[in-house]
Amino acid sequence: MARTSVKKAGWIGRVFFLDLLAGLRLTLRYMFSKTVTHRYPDHEKWVPYERHRGHHFIKTNDEGDVNCVACELCSQICPCDCITVIPYENEKGDRRPKVFDINLARCLYCGLCEDACPADAIKLGQEYEVACDHRPKLVVHLEDLVAAPRKAEDGGQLRPARLEPGGKRRSVATAAAGAESHDWWRHIRKGK
Amino acid sequence: MEYVLALLPMLVKMAIVVGVLLLLPLPLTWMERKIAAHIQQRPGPMRVGWHGLLQPLADALKLLTKEDHIPAEADRRLFAMAPVVALVPPFLVFTAIPFGEPVQVFGTEVTLMLSDMNVGLLFILAVSGIGVFGTILAGWASNSKYAVLGSLRSIAQMISYEIPMGFSVIGVVMLANSMNLSRIVAAQEGLWNVVVQPVGFFVFFIAGLAEAQRIPFDLPEAEGDLGAGYHTEYSGIRFSLFMLAEYLVVVMLAALNVLLFFGGWQGSPFFLPDTVWFLLKIGFFVWVFMWFRFTFPRYRYDQLMTIGWKVLLPLSLLNILVSGILML
Repeated sequence: MARTSVKKAGWIGRVFFLDLLAGLRLTLRYMFSKTVTHRYPDHEKWVPYERHRGHHFIKTNDEGDVNCVACELCSQICPCDCITVIPYENEKGDRRPKVFDINLARCLYCGLCEDACPADAIKLGQEYEVACDHRPKLVVHLEDLVAAPRKAEDGGQLRPARLEPGGKRRSVATAAAGAESHDWWRHIRKGK
Repeated sequence: MEYVLALLPMLVKMAIVVGVLLLLPLPLTWMERKIAAHIQQRPGPMRVGWHGLLQPLADALKLLTKEDHIPAEADRRLFAMAPVVALVPPFLVFTAIPFGEPVQVFGTEVTLMLSDMNVGLLFILAVSGIGVFGTILAGWASNSKYAVLGSLRSIAQMISYEIPMGFSVIGVVMLANSMNLSRIVAAQEGLWNVVVQPVGFFVFFIAGLAEAQRIPFDLPEAEGDLGAGYHTEYSGIRFSLFMLAEYLVVVMLAALNVLLFFGGWQGSPFFLPDTVWFLLKIGFFVWVFMWFRFTFPRYRYDQLMTIGWKVLLPLSLLNILVSGILML
């Protein structure tokens, strides 16, 4: 937009610095627009969309039993071989995983396990803060997967958050969905 | 006792001016960082104090506690002298800058300037010309190729832009029939010089930007090709003295722009004291300088020289000619 107006004005425009003024107008408009920085992690945290492929979780049914039938399809399809499943037969005679380990250090979050799963058990959730200081901690087990956060229903929101140094939780604590959160993308000036 | 009483207002004024000038870079760096940030849609410093207001203090502490490094091959005496030489002229200039009409304090008349010189404007131009010595000494004493190249560039730049700068204010002097800054301001009552002398203002503003080595004329500091220019080898407190000098030159130029072309303290809205109005205008110009800084890229060296000698110099001479003819 700025460029065309200068082109139209030609050399007369250049004598009166229309090109420079166009630049100044642009930066002035930006100066008084909203900032887009996330004040992460101690004030705000962005919740990813539902489609986001983050830390895996395993769904449970109403009785609290895992959906997983330990068919090992996920570990078969996994391109980086990071899922280990060892099945066993529980007291009801169902096939269930005795061991379900995912090595997050190897995982590339492609989501093929989610596609392959016939029992609607393994999913990729909203959690993305998986950094840690000890590599063996990156191998997550069945109970971690059951407890992991699900897919975000109000994804794309910027929620108030606080940092808990030395806290047990690995991720930054956020406030409950709703009230204070706002849609971050709405604040971004669309390219003009 | 009489003698001391006569000196007292002068001493108080000096203390105030020097104190304010020394502390000025603190709010100015904060302002600059905030403006940079908001142009780039960032919030800027937010952690130290309310909206990062204490950030400059933290930065100053950091600079003061840094190692004061002098290169082994440097000329130690000149190296230590250069920041002080760079710092003196901007301070000296403020002796001649008036901040308002004389006021009555305890029955005596106190002028709001350190020294009411008849040749105030000439004094300012002359003293700010000395500022280039700091740059020369710094570049030479560092004994480093980046510093020498940077200082050579800034010497050439400052000298060639001083000429159009000096010529551009002649129109103003002609209009006021005086080089006294208070008289120049008084002559602008009713009509600011920027209306009568638009070309003069234009040349003065641009030459001022170059003189202060601000973007788009900050070639001496072109990081891409010269490291940090003439203060490449400086660190810690000596570096901060250069920064201080740079900010003071910016404020000085803003003040001169306001005094010469925007009517000084004239035309204040009824509720503002003249001095506050004057300071607000200066603040506006400082803001404009910073706004320019984060909008424009830097000119190439040959373009810089072309603008100085082939555009600004003829323009300023033409301005003198035309305003002379019109006044006849």
